[in-house]
Amino acid sequence: MDDAGFPSPHSGRFATTRWSIVQAAGVQATPNSRHALEELCATYWYPLYAYVRRRGYQADDAQDLTQSFVLSLLERNAVQRADPDRGRFRSFLLGSLNKFLSDETRKQGAQKRGGDRKILSINVDDVENRYQLEPTDDITPEAVFERRWALTVLDAALTRLQGDYERVGKLPLFEALRGHIGADKSTIPNREVAESLSMQEGAVKVAAHRLRQEYRDALRAEIAQTVTNSKELDDELTGLFQTLSGT
Amino acid sequence: MADDQICPKCGAPLPADVAPGHCPKCLMQVGFESQDQAVADPAEAPTAVSGHSGVTWDLDQLASLFPELEIIKQVGIGGMGVVYQARQKQLDRFVAVKLVRPDLCDDPTFSERFTREARAMARLSHPAIINVFDFGQREQFYFFIMEFVDGTNLRQLMQSEGLDATQALAVVPQICEALQYAHDEGIVHRDIKPENILVDTKGRIKIADFGLAKLINPEATDFTLTGAKQVMGTPHYMAPEQLERPLEVDHRADIYSLGVVIYEMLTGELPLGRFSSPSEKVQIDVRLDEVVLRALQKEPEKRYQQVSGIKTDIEAVSASPTGHSPRQSVVPPTVRQAFNNLQYPGYGLYCVVNC
Ligand SMILES: [Zn+2]
Repeated sequence: MDDAGFPSPHSGRFATTRWSIVQAAGVQATPNSRHALEELCATYWYPLYAYVRRRGYQADDAQDLTQSFVLSLLERNAVQRADPDRGRFRSFLLGSLNKFLSDETRKQGAQKRGGDRKILSINVDDVENRYQLEPTDDITPEAVFERRWALTVLDAALTRLQGDYERVGKLPLFEALRGHIGADKSTIPNREVAESLSMQEGAVKVAAHRLRQEYRDALRAEIAQTVTNSKELDDELTGLFQTLSGT
Repeated sequence: MADDQICPKCGAPLPADVAPGHCPKCLMQVGFESQDQAVADPAEAPTAVSGHSGVTWDLDQLASLFPELEIIKQVGIGGMGVVYQARQKQLDRFVAVKLVRPDLCDDPTFSERFTREARAMARLSHPAIINVFDFGQREQFYFFIMEFVDGTNLRQLMQSEGLDATQALAVVPQICEALQYAHDEGIVHRDIKPENILVDTKGRIKIADFGLAKLINPEATDFTLTGAKQVMGTPHYMAPEQLERPLEVDHRADIYSLGVVIYEMLTGELPLGRFSSPSEKVQIDVRLDEVVLRALQKEPEKRYQQVSGIKTDIEAVSASPTGHSPRQSVVPPTVRQAFNNLQYPGYGLYCVVNC
């Protein structure tokens, strides 16, 4: 067995997960590594925003701070200071954000820079509307961040699958079954789905099973983008699951 | 869903801020599930694909190798290589692209053997056999472009649903017809197993990878070598002579392998060690025991001599589901008595029938 290998269909790609590209580049950022970091930041922008909001900043400030935090990461190759022992992107990002927020000078400078340049096209009204839907329970900023992160991962995996199905013209099948991916097999309304899509019931069962397998792969692939090896992947999956079980 | 506030599966309250029906906890839990055995089997482990060659199977790289195709996604991976779903832009149809692991092609005779076997595969034209449209080499990749089957394989069917005897019996004649056709054309599959038997969404059988096993390892002499096992995958479906005298294998090896597949479809288990007859494990017609046993004979001469014989006998059982046969028993009683004496040490490859 090859230690660097990754025991899943995404084998051989571990060397090219986004976070490992970013980490491998270190100080010498490459167009590839910058692009990878940008994509990661775009995916996980909202958990960052929710965290900043929960820390007590108003919507406008939170948007500026989040944007300028991301910009500072991209500009300064802040990744060079990532602690190699804390390999996961999630912990790195939260740690960096905390440092950023506690750095008073940077925080002040941020107000201006945020407006200068659009780094990531985030629809700022949307994110605040979304934030208004967050549970208002007495949970900590960290808990909001962790929970949002977990939900973002789930969402990214679903979106990725949806794209796959759309490309092969099977979006209706995906739409019909997506709500049942995590469900008990026995509760899937195979007959109704079969009728609505003019498929055989057996074929629907098979399709549901396949979708679940594909979702599993997509989920793991999505998490893999934020870690550097397969052990971290399993740890991260466990951590995210605990986050969702805890509340 | 009875209550939209509570997940019907795990009982956790469903948060208001996620899509209806999506319990985050249950969705995340899917990540812990094991993959289908086809992939999870260590002999088929994908590390073998990247491990030897160091090649990364990157979609962008593939796209540049195959400009005429739109590579859509990876749909399978095994000991021999990786399969992608793709669209032929010109014809606007889906195809499967199979890339052979580069490290398997090192041998200097590979290119010639590849061409010979691929041509043989491409000559097969049967509705229950995957069509080979094209094959060749691009950079270090030897590839096949094949018919894309929208569906699943028998392994997945067995795992997701379990097959009842009626369903199992419905697919066997289709497999027999395809194999008989290939055998008549002088082609032995050599690697019949549930992963290679595809089922499309209309329930039709499509057999994949005819003769590919021979291409990859024509000698196949040493199965104790890790490398060889990786190449060939699990030996559980292989006829005894396939391991002992691989160069002498004929179509009756496929008949043995099909026997293993039928046994597994009926019982959910492989016929390993001192295995029970199917009817001892599940409630089925005892006449099926005889069909399976005859296919699983150690000596090729004692098996069905043509795969069409299995079809005939299975259809006879299906046609008179009363439990007693209108025909003479297909297997002599002495052989039947020996059923419980079948012994398969090790990988289950040496059975002692006439003791
Ligand atoms: Zn649940």
